[in-house]
Amino acid sequence: MSSLSARLLISVSVLLMFFFGVTIVVLDTAFRSAGEQAQEDILDGHLMALLAAAEVSDAGTLEMPSDLHESRFSNIGSGLYAEMRDEQGNIVWRSRSALSIEMPFGGQPQSGIRLFQNEELADGTPLLTLSLAVQWEIADGEFRPFVFKVAESLDSFNAQIAQFRRQLFGWFGAVALIMLLSISVLLRRMLRPLRQIENEIGEIEQGKRESLSGRFPTELTGVARNMNLLIDSERARSDRYRVTLDNLAHSLKTPLAAMRALLTHGDSAKFSERYNEQINRMDEIVRYQLRKPAASSADNLLLKLVPVKQEVDRLVDGLRKVYHDKNPTIETQVAAGMRFRGDSGDFLEIAGNLLDNACKWCQQRVRMTIHPPKGSRSGDGGMQLVVSDDGPGIPADATDALLQRGTRLDESTPGHGIGLAVVKEIAESYGGQLVISQSDLGGAEFCVTIPST
Amino acid sequence: MRLLVIEDDATLRESLAAKLGENGFAVEQAADGKEGLYYALEYPIDLAIVDLGLPEMSGLDIIRKVREEGRTYPILILTARDRWEDKVDGLDAGADDYVVKPFHVEEVTARVNALLRRSGGWASSLMTAGPVTLDMSRQELSVNDSIIDLTSFEYKIIEYLMVRAGQVISKTELTERLYDQDFERDSNVIEVFIGRLRKKMDPDNSIKPIETLRGRGYRFALERGQSG
Repeated sequence: MSSLSARLLISVSVLLMFFFGVTIVVLDTAFRSAGEQAQEDILDGHLMALLAAAEVSDAGTLEMPSDLHESRFSNIGSGLYAEMRDEQGNIVWRSRSALSIEMPFGGQPQSGIRLFQNEELADGTPLLTLSLAVQWEIADGEFRPFVFKVAESLDSFNAQIAQFRRQLFGWFGAVALIMLLSISVLLRRMLRPLRQIENEIGEIEQGKRESLSGRFPTELTGVARNMNLLIDSERARSDRYRVTLDNLAHSLKTPLAAMRALLTHGDSAKFSERYNEQINRMDEIVRYQLRKPAASSADNLLLKLVPVKQEVDRLVDGLRKVYHDKNPTIETQVAAGMRFRGDSGDFLEIAGNLLDNACKWCQQRVRMTIHPPKGSRSGDGGMQLVVSDDGPGIPADATDALLQRGTRLDESTPGHGIGLAVVKEIAESYGGQLVISQSDLGGAEFCVTIPST
Repeated sequence: MRLLVIEDDATLRESLAAKLGENGFAVEQAADGKEGLYYALEYPIDLAIVDLGLPEMSGLDIIRKVREEGRTYPILILTARDRWEDKVDGLDAGADDYVVKPFHVEEVTARVNALLRRSGGWASSLMTAGPVTLDMSRQELSVNDSIIDLTSFEYKIIEYLMVRAGQVISKTELTERLYDQDFERDSNVIEVFIGRLRKKMDPDNSIKPIETLRGRGYRFALERGQSG
């Protein structure tokens, strides 16, 4: 199910069906048992009245007066019946209403105990019957047993129950429908901000809008803010790419022009050398532009936490192969749980260039330590990366020039310092810096510090 | 020695192969990844030069597959991708060194020589054993500091034997690794060349650089020098 409102409506309907179902069953049961109780009480009343009306005749039998207190006993088909049997089960008396029917015999009660039964007439009409066995004193000291039985047709009672059920279902159905309708109306109102976000994103895609308006309910402001950040960083990124591409294209034109010029008035002796020079220059330009930082600290949302130790191990294994002949001692210390928040390619670019330079220039020893910058912990994303070697080192007055190279590539001499310029630029794009100093090993020390965000 | 060059750009591949041929190597060429992998697994190869961006199958996959199949010969990557991420991925997959495009062909031959030396267990660029010194970059053999004048095939043989100094090399292996693909193969030719080599390097039969093991092959018998 992809629609939030469909999901909610279906869940609510299921819940409503469950709760209303339970309520209907409970109400129905309660109503029915109350009705049955009332019915039994009424039958009991009739029975008591019959007992009171019965009299012993002179012939020594029990007799009923012809006019009973309840006129329904006298009307045929009234639905209220009574009869009296002797101990053999022979009918001694039956009410006028029962003359045309045969009452079911049913179970026989024990003496003195009321027996309620649900029975049926021959035509299937349901009955509630009450039987009572009594010992009647015919003469002094002479008791004879009789069974009194009254029965009431349940037709009207069942009709009542059915009526009640119809009403119950009707009302609950109406209430459920009204609830579902109002919930779906509410949903439409509540989901309107989402639809608004969708529309605004559509407008951004079409270029009609710069960013999301920001007029959203509290629950959505976070989403909208992050969306805006993402849009901004995407835009910044594509700007960066455009600028890079622009620079690349323009800076390649100069050497291309030079090569064309060489082709027209090339001095054949120096031709190949000068041609090569231009190729080198173009290579440097492409190299520099392609190695620019992939991300920057402004790209907050797009950055991942790079597991530093793992990347360093891969890098050092690779460099050991490349510098197999020189076989420098590469020492690495990485703080436990060290994570760099950024692009893993950028991290490798920093560590790779510095470590490669150190391996190139060292006598024998190279050392790299990576730990969190002062005042932050190793998982925070910032880092201080220090690479030192025991090579000749870099004179203090040359460091500035070294770092400047590559940054204004059109005007620089090719061949040197691209790696360092790249490291510096990546560090700066993450809000950090590159510092060159003297190492305690005797050579140069390069320290890149990138703050935690 | 037999090299394999897998590179899809024809100009680059052919000029590289030509240059390597000049340097005394037999060279197989493959223009795409699948063909390259076939050569890499089925041919007797001493070193492979693999471009990373290939049609059909990437260079990285070829390297992984070759290493998975247990081949240990050195692999040199050619790559247009300059970021450390890509270099590390290649080395991690099992390559031994990389050259970034655009390169000078001399750069590639130098790396190839170094890798071959390294695979034979030599650490320095000059291989010295007793009075014999071999300089792979100049293709020069000298005995007692005087350069011996060798034909290119004689040089190929002594280079192959000396890189693998101490190992027994069969005649079949020599013919397989040294001749170009469609050359008429005849192992008697090898015997003739070995005889000439012995005469040129050791005219008075005093240092005995090449040992014959009957029925098994030849061995460069001199102890490797200090640097080796």
